Amino acid sequence: MLAIRRFVKLVITLAILGLASEVSAADKEAALKAGFMFNFARYSEWQGLAKPLGYFKLCSPDIEFVDTASWVLHKQRIHELEIRVSLVELDSLSINQCNLLFVPAAYRKTWLTVDRALLPHTMLVGETPDFIHQGGHIRFFLLAGKIRFEVAPEELKKADITMSSKVLRLSRVVKEEQ
Amino acid sequence: MKYSAGVLWSLCLANYSFAAAEPLPNLDLESLMATDVQATSAMKRAQSAFTTAASLYVLSKEDIRASGAVSVAETLKLVPGLEVRQLDSNQWAITARGVAGRYTSKLLVMVDGQSVYNPSFAGVYWETLDVPLYDIERIEVIRGQGGLLWGSNATNGVINIITKNSLDTRETLVQVSSGDQLNYDVGLRHGGNIGSNGSYRIYGSVRDSDAAKTGKSLPANDEAKQQSIGARFDFAPNDDLSILTQLSYTHTDMGQNLKALSLATNQNTLYAERFERDDGRIMARAEHRVSGSSNQMLQASWAVQNGKQLYLEERFQTLDIDYQMNSLWGATQLDWGLNYRNSYLPFEENYIISSDEDIDRLEQYGAFLQLQFALIPEQLDLSFGNKSEHNSFTGWEHQPVARITWQPNIEHVLWSAISQGVRIPSLAEFDYDSAINGTRVGEYFQTGIDAIDSYHVRTVLNGNQHVEPEKSLSYELGYRFSKQDWSFDLALFHTQSKDVFAVQPNPDSANLDQIAALLAQGKIIEAQQALRSTVLEFDVASNADLNVKGGEALVAWRPSANFRAELGYSQMAYRYRLQENTQPAIGYDSDSKQIFAKTGWQPFKKHSFFALFRSINSDAYSVDDYNALDLSWAWQLMPHSSLSLTGKNLLAGSHLEYNNTSETFTVPNYIEQSVVLRFMAEF
Repeated sequence: MLAIRRFVKLVITLAILGLASEVSAADKEAALKAGFMFNFARYSEWQGLAKPLGYFKLCSPDIEFVDTASWVLHKQRIHELEIRVSLVELDSLSINQCNLLFVPAAYRKTWLTVDRALLPHTMLVGETPDFIHQGGHIRFFLLAGKIRFEVAPEELKKADITMSSKVLRLSRVVKEEQ
Repeated sequence: MKYSAGVLWSLCLANYSFAAAEPLPNLDLESLMATDVQATSAMKRAQSAFTTAASLYVLSKEDIRASGAVSVAETLKLVPGLEVRQLDSNQWAITARGVAGRYTSKLLVMVDGQSVYNPSFAGVYWETLDVPLYDIERIEVIRGQGGLLWGSNATNGVINIITKNSLDTRETLVQVSSGDQLNYDVGLRHGGNIGSNGSYRIYGSVRDSDAAKTGKSLPANDEAKQQSIGARFDFAPNDDLSILTQLSYTHTDMGQNLKALSLATNQNTLYAERFERDDGRIMARAEHRVSGSSNQMLQASWAVQNGKQLYLEERFQTLDIDYQMNSLWGATQLDWGLNYRNSYLPFEENYIISSDEDIDRLEQYGAFLQLQFALIPEQLDLSFGNKSEHNSFTGWEHQPVARITWQPNIEHVLWSAISQGVRIPSLAEFDYDSAINGTRVGEYFQTGIDAIDSYHVRTVLNGNQHVEPEKSLSYELGYRFSKQDWSFDLALFHTQSKDVFAVQPNPDSANLDQIAALLAQGKIIEAQQALRSTVLEFDVASNADLNVKGGEALVAWRPSANFRAELGYSQMAYRYRLQENTQPAIGYDSDSKQIFAKTGWQPFKKHSFFALFRSINSDAYSVDDYNALDLSWAWQLMPHSSLSLTGKNLLAGSHLEYNNTSETFTVPNYIEQSVVLRFMAEF
């Protein structure tokens, strides 16, 4: 009996540790994606950048991503504007002030219900396979253990955002008809 | 800095992938693109390099590019602790934790997981390994045994050359190099998309170089002509599946000085000859994420190497198939895999080499299992496993390993490992009978008749099909310390090998007493006839013990993004214990030390400098100690074009790096100072 208890205890301990290591891996992925988004913004021109805010607003509905991105992008600036990483609810009006919105895979269903009219000049970044076909601009994907991304430049242009060729040449470009 | 996020360890065949100690070094797009993500995203097992219980080093593409190296072998000079000896302008002897031989390295070398190890002589033809350096993502080096994950013949270490995904090379690149010995080296690569889920690159290169100015025994004869073409295709139909296919072909035509027997005298004679070799490879790999905690991989590859040189016509084909599965159950990681390798090594007898059994095939198959879990969460990790592999020479061989890591806090790691590695005999050791330098009659008895005393009896080294595989038991202890901008890495090792390859005379092979009796009777002509038909034999045996002790220490410092430096020291003692009347086959008792310093500095936005200093102190290769300094300067002409100038061997001057004369064929040259000017443009 004692042996069984010990075994159960061991299994629980291993499971907890497993969760911990997965969280750690997720943190790293989020940190990398925040770094990529910093570069997307740095190498893009907004016709309608929300200057009245006085800062660059990077939004996400995912609190863990917001925490990680706040740490990664601490003291960074985009077009001479301070970056503020904000937690938003996708179905709220507050998203209309976002310069860049990151939609994690877990928020796919909510994203489908979002009123796109609230996001006329927002760079939309996601990670689900159909994100660009659902109105997004940039999508992360994993390739051989590394983060890569695809971009729909024509869709970005419709949001009055022009991305530098420095970033586009590293991306997989998605054309409108696709 | 060794443990930066841009410097990651991910051995694709083995599921050993080590993410960086710190999450992000900087926010440069290039650094982010180079960083591996996480544990179960692909085939790889992500693990911090800092906490890995093995002596490992990852050579970054930045260092490869900055060094001005022109070949894969040359880039390995940038790895501290490796034994890298240049025989002439093209040929190399490379290993870790042992004495390097051109044909006997006990080092497993792979390109994207595809082995380039040649089982006919247990080594690598470095001079024909032509991987475009600008398309290398990184070179991963394990010093010490890698037998559990990669199988036999990885007893001294493993080198895996990882090339870039073609998604990251979708542009045109032109590189032109020239120098005082290098007439021209032109490389061209073009890449692009295939549909919306694939990418490709095709590449080709031509190289033409002159011979060195000074030869040792003969005028240098090491000019080279080499042409390569290749392609890589990557498809990722979805985020869970990626398929890689690549193929390459290299034709090499080089000069070499070699020693081989003279038909007339039975003695080693120097020849200035050429050799040609064709090297073709094709491989395909599918990586599939089965679930969030499980991945599988299937890889198949085929390689052909055909070579022609004096007395030796080589035809070598090998087929490799590997499958592996990686699973995560809580904190317990389970990795297992199956492998099959079929090497076809047809043989044609010639004057100096014959075959006992006409063996032309080596078949290997096996499986590995590895379990990794935490004894104390976040502090004490244990992993153990075994690889059992059957080979058609010596049957089943087993390679168990146990590794433990203790991390008391975020800055310190102590690790230890015990492992057994196996080296199966090469075909030459197992089956071939190779004529070697003849034995002078006068060494056995003096007749006073010069024609007899100075006569060299034909002498043959016999392969031995009863030879045992060499088994090496390694004990390793390591310590790592890491701060924000610097780190320290220490590894100590002690490897005890038994059943080691040695050479012993076969006393029954030649009846010299009978010849002596003929001479005593004054039958000189009969004695001469008897000598001409006499063969003195030496047998390959596996009765030696070998004891190798040593360690490697490295301090890495990166105070800013514009400056990085590494300072290393390694030492090794190599000791045989031989049975009576035998002699060592690979190296001999020796001590080696190496001081290593490497630095990269970018004082101005468009100008950067790179320096590599190595102080080599060793009596393992019958050459003087030497200090070698390589200096490079690179000028970023435009955003996508650069010009660089590299001076090599600036302190060493004209020097010998290798002079072990026991190896058949091998004749070294002086290695000289040289200069390489290079232009590179991407558009």
